[in-house]
Amino acid sequence: MPHAGWATFSFEGIGTGWEISTVEVLGPSAQQDLLALVEDFDAAWSRFRADSLVTAMAREPGSYSFPAEAAGLGELYRTLYDLTGGAMTPLVGASLERLGYDAAYSLRPSGDPLPAPRWEDVLDWNGTSISTNAPVVLDIGAAGKGLLVDVLASALEVRGAEAFMVDASGDLLARGPVGVPVGLEHPYNPAQAIGVVELGGRALCASAANRRAWGDGLHHVLDATTGQPVRTAVATWALADTAAVADALATALFFVPGAVLEESFDVSWLTVFSDGSAAYSAEFEGTLFT
Amino acid sequence: MRPSALNRPVRKSIYVGIAGLSLVGTVAGCAPSAAESNPAPAAGGSSAAATTPSAGESALASSGSSYKDGTYSADGTYVSPNGNETVGVQLTLAADKVTDVQITQHPSNPNTRKFQGEFAGGIAAQVVGKNIDELNVSKVAGSSLTSGGFNQAVEQIKSEAQ
Repeated sequence: MPHAGWATFSFEGIGTGWEISTVEVLGPSAQQDLLALVEDFDAAWSRFRADSLVTAMAREPGSYSFPAEAAGLGELYRTLYDLTGGAMTPLVGASLERLGYDAAYSLRPSGDPLPAPRWEDVLDWNGTSISTNAPVVLDIGAAGKGLLVDVLASALEVRGAEAFMVDASGDLLARGPVGVPVGLEHPYNPAQAIGVVELGGRALCASAANRRAWGDGLHHVLDATTGQPVRTAVATWALADTAAVADALATALFFVPGAVLEESFDVSWLTVFSDGSAAYSAEFEGTLFT
Repeated sequence: MRPSALNRPVRKSIYVGIAGLSLVGTVAGCAPSAAESNPAPAAGGSSAAATTPSAGESALASSGSSYKDGTYSADGTYVSPNGNETVGVQLTLAADKVTDVQITQHPSNPNTRKFQGEFAGGIAAQVVGKNIDELNVSKVAGSSLTSGGFNQAVEQIKSEAQ
């Protein structure tokens, strides 16, 4: 827990472990409300379950109405799609499936890398309405975990919580007056950290290419214009006001230098490269062990 | 054999370390800068990884449930449009624990240098790790704990590979 005496509510959701730390213990009804939000989110966005909205859209093109969080997500993805020249897109699902990152977790490629379809060719994402003219596999993995962090944080704030922390297995959001020291996980050794930052009032999300590596050179961060895994940057962190933005920008750092992202987003960033060197914006100055 | 709860993170960290190793041969590549609209090059990453545990054992080849002690190192080379790139990783395993991780810097990497030169923020030539249990932190920002289903699949592949 981030502070002595805080209560922690732990659960599994969207395929990962969660810890919500609060000053006051969350009662059973509060916990049930949060779990219901997780279930609603999963039922809409998971491409790993047969009954989700995303799975329905993969089977049948058409116009689908998504939950409220879809509006901000669409804008975020569209901005990053343009900034990365199409490399980062929610249409990367079929590319991931081709490389074996599919609903059955086969983890074996089923053919040559498959470039994602162009947004303007198949997708019209207007607020909470998403329309397709071909069967597309939507994958919001680059921002989804952070987005659910924000959904849960909003629910906690509606309940009146002012100080709390949401930990989605290493993607973090902290609210409240007192900062929390957070270790930056070593890209090759999760028992170590390469630095410590103070997190207060914002979200810190990480992405790493060596995680979810399942074969020679195949990992889950893909350049959607080629369908190939991205190389060189091995781990990234982004600090932003919302976890959805921090999560998405941590992935975007694999495609675009942080300085470019700073032109469009209020973000602090850190990128660690495969040779052990690092580049970072001003806020990470002095936080790294060297 | 299911390791005890106490050992679980340890075994996980070993596996992730090894996974990093096998990946390193090809992960060290050119920087495919989308900002330059250059599509990433075709794979072609010929990994020249030579895993040479000092104990003279081959990595992960043991039929038991634990890993052989020793220092394991691998170099990966990769031909990018800007020339050869190399990265080295050295892991030291003792009693099923990763006791040391060294990432060898190869300063000839031209594209990384270029990448680093494009902004006004800070640069660290070499970051180093410190053990998290020796730091005063209550939370860790990282992605190693993500996705239970994925980790289960990896465990299965790992057991099939033994």
